[in-house]
Amino acid sequence: MSWKRTLGNLLLLSVLAVPAGARHSGESPASSAKTGATVQPVRSEDDLRVEGEKRFRANCGRCHQSPHKFPPRMMLTIERHMRVRALITDEDLRLIVRYMTQ
Amino acid sequence: MPVLTGSVGFFSTWHLGRTQLTPVATPVLLVPFGERWLVEARGDFQGDFVRPAGGSFGGDVEKEVDYAQVDYIANPYVTVTVGRFLTPFGIYNERLYPIWIRSLQATPLIFPIGTGSSDGAMLRGGFPGNHKVNVNYAVYFSTLSSINKLESDRRAGGRIGFFLPGPRIELGASLQQLLQEDRSQSVGFHFAWQPNRVPLNLRSEYAWGAIKGSGYWIEGAYRLSQIPRGQRVLRHAEVVGRAQQYFAGQLDAADASEYQLPRRNTQQADLGMNYYFSDGFKATGSYGRWFSSARDYNIWTVGIAYRFALPLGRSQ
Repeated sequence: MSWKRTLGNLLLLSVLAVPAGARHSGESPASSAKTGATVQPVRSEDDLRVEGEKRFRANCGRCHQSPHKFPPRMMLTIERHMRVRALITDEDLRLIVRYMTQ
Repeated sequence: MPVLTGSVGFFSTWHLGRTQLTPVATPVLLVPFGERWLVEARGDFQGDFVRPAGGSFGGDVEKEVDYAQVDYIANPYVTVTVGRFLTPFGIYNERLYPIWIRSLQATPLIFPIGTGSSDGAMLRGGFPGNHKVNVNYAVYFSTLSSINKLESDRRAGGRIGFFLPGPRIELGASLQQLLQEDRSQSVGFHFAWQPNRVPLNLRSEYAWGAIKGSGYWIEGAYRLSQIPRGQRVLRHAEVVGRAQQYFAGQLDAADASEYQLPRRNTQQADLGMNYYFSDGFKATGSYGRWFSSARDYNIWTVGIAYRFALPLGRSQ
């Protein structure tokens, strides 16, 4: 039952990787953006906003029309849902949430 | 904060001398816990009221639980999902199915191959591969369930996708192994492209099932936002075209009906238009032509779809 072994290994990997995620979640959006492989160096709020809008259009526009901005707490829930549904990367999500809540 | 979202719509379809009315409601409940947990569920209520030529309307309301799952975001690369979830096969089932998102209301002919809902566990995530490509994946195991409204097959599978943010191209492949009955396999490929300079959304899927047959669809949706005249109206309008082909598998008539697959080789072409009153509220209309060895016929559809999102608590 090789698929069972593979699934078990993946589950184990995901649990072992939690500390890495905990460290990552402690970063500020700006520092996360600076260290990300797909993010260009950013220097100002304007840069972050422009980059956020770019990520928003590239990721969200793949499936649906651009939604209007929701209140911040509501937006965080919707973005968590979209992270799971659309498999948006952590860096993209941070920039999109920042853009959508400002 | 918990959020109640989802969509409602109403569609009328005419084909083969019949009128079909389809009211649809798909509420989605999102309940986050802490920084890493999310409980999400979607119900699907769809009426199917048909009036045969010379008769009166009659029909049923189908009620389904599309998904009811718990998500744990373990780290930036892995989310663990347990419960009933949409089977990750291709892109239509998970991302394009909601009525306010889909460009044409009729689902593709190959939609029943590999999709549906699964009861079990899944690992999924997305991460940057390098500065030019993002990688996403999903692997899952589903158990057999015959519980009413929570039916599921015993199967395992996975999907991998590559998204190139620069040219906005997405490519991916899906694999599924049924672990019961005929133990058949299904394979799928998907492609999507949104050119940077043209408001075009191009999508395509191919699916092959050892028993259910195979086929493909390709769809283009063009927003009329670059037409120089009449922008007050035309920038809200979208023209859609889809071509698709299905090659019948080994299903008998009863199984084909159960899976909602055609019994014979079939082609279908659709042309439609959407008008967006707002980002989540649109009117839609389309004409389609169905070609098969049994018969050819026209399909006309008109309707409206609305996406709602309500906070269940103080939103500020």
